[in-house]
Amino acid sequence: MNTLLRRFPRANAFEISLAVFALLYLLIFAGLPLIYNIVLSFQQVDLMEPATLLRPFVGLANYRDVFGRPEARQVLINTVLFVGLSLTLQIIIGFLLALLFAQDFPFASAMRGLFLAGWIMPGLVVGVIWKLIFAGDYGVLNHVLMQTHLLHEKIFWLSDPAWSLYAVILANVWLGVPFNMLLLSVGLAAIPADLYEAAELDGANPLQRFVGITLPMMKATLGAVIALGAIMTMQQFDLIAALTQGGPANSSQVAQFWSWQLSLQTFEVSAGSAVATLMLLLVLVVAVIYVRSTRNERMV
Amino acid sequence: MKRYILFVIALCVTAVYMFPLYWMYITVFKSASEMFQYPPSFWPQHPESHLWQVFSERGMGNFLWNSLVTACGTVAVTVFVGTGAAYALAFVQNRWTSFAIFTVLVLQALPSSLMVTPIFTAFKALGLLETPRLAVVIAQITKTLPFYIVLCRPSFVQVPRELRDAALVDGASPMRAFFGVILPLAVNGILVSAILVFLQSFGEYVYARSLILDDQYQTATVGLSAFVGATKIDWIGIMTYSAIFVTPILIAFMLLQRRIVAGLTAGALK
Repeated sequence: MNTLLRRFPRANAFEISLAVFALLYLLIFAGLPLIYNIVLSFQQVDLMEPATLLRPFVGLANYRDVFGRPEARQVLINTVLFVGLSLTLQIIIGFLLALLFAQDFPFASAMRGLFLAGWIMPGLVVGVIWKLIFAGDYGVLNHVLMQTHLLHEKIFWLSDPAWSLYAVILANVWLGVPFNMLLLSVGLAAIPADLYEAAELDGANPLQRFVGITLPMMKATLGAVIALGAIMTMQQFDLIAALTQGGPANSSQVAQFWSWQLSLQTFEVSAGSAVATLMLLLVLVVAVIYVRSTRNERMV
Repeated sequence: MKRYILFVIALCVTAVYMFPLYWMYITVFKSASEMFQYPPSFWPQHPESHLWQVFSERGMGNFLWNSLVTACGTVAVTVFVGTGAAYALAFVQNRWTSFAIFTVLVLQALPSSLMVTPIFTAFKALGLLETPRLAVVIAQITKTLPFYIVLCRPSFVQVPRELRDAALVDGASPMRAFFGVILPLAVNGILVSAILVFLQSFGEYVYARSLILDDQYQTATVGLSAFVGATKIDWIGIMTYSAIFVTPILIAFMLLQRRIVAGLTAGALK
């Protein structure tokens, strides 16, 4: 067959032109902006001036400006907390749910399907619904927590600087759980059942089976879920826009939202692009490590 | 017995998870006085609804139309450009294609909220903001195209190589082999991926909010955020707006749920 195919000159020319078409698009509209963003972060940008692509070079001044701002420290801590806590909670809850729905009981797959409704909802709408749930005076979350005596007085989730970040994280976990559960379910389903049977015959209890079989077998899937979760959390924008817009007093501000606010609300594009460059580098590092470690194949 | 205990546990967990959706729908039917009472009621006492009133007062027709236009534009270009690429990256295997797949996967991770800074600045300089919906489509495709290629590629990988080789030996051109033999076999995967891209683009917010400066062309998500940002917050109206906006998305998803899940997991763990 191979000798036959060799008779067709440049047999793959058609296919290659198809791929080049798409890659060119991505190069122009994603690759160039990526580079342009780095260039912007070293320039002094004034949007009021006549449109131009080349502007005065200012070296690291934009980065010094951003880090010199009083809110920089808070944003840094918030971003780490936002990504770290969202990831941890999403994975724990997602894993528990995946284990639950891997059991055999009526309507298991139908109920798992319902969870995915949370995944398909536009982030902005999810944020708006949670804003109503979090309402301080008449919100249902306060009501439920007080009914169950977990709270003694109402918390103003979104307007209290001590709570606003955690409120956003809670909503983000809600949004992220279905995807985590789905990927972990697939990983669980791929573990051969006879491993469990053998362990059961040897008298291993459920906890030993989980630690001895499930966790080691899920190592690759867990790695993928952590990397994807980190990327998705660093992409999260809509929820913050709907819930707190980084406030009050930057108490729930995270880097990606700060960058957008700087560039598109106060039009300090120099500062916004500096923050964006740093975050983009971080996202790219996670993405590259992840894609390399999973042999180019696993990413939704 | 154990099966029923598990069933009850799962039912409770699902109910807790679905509560925000329930709360949205139940608020739609509450009356103004019931809305702000504490403790809140879990079932509307005097059900009423203002679907049509909210729809017309908020100009939802125009917002939804703009969302539909940008989402359809995005899907059309994504499918047109992405299908061929997914096929090529599935069938041709060499150093270049594996580098291309690597690039596509990495590009998928770029957050819109960060990419919008250079895109906004460049589009402004190039005059692309004069055609705002086109600007959003162009920007959004950079996000959906990698997603689509990754989702779609497995359905081409499944197609046996021999089918293409046989067509070529029979004298078909590579283009005919693609359109006549391979494409029909991958149609399912293409459809599911296209629907996911559509649902994603229909709820897109960052680019619409940033690149569309004229209210006339704003999408439904931006209309919703303006509604929430108003000084006097009208929760019943907002939840009615949200319900009108997401119900079609939820119905489409529920109808296609099985296929979407299968497509997603194949794309994720191939």
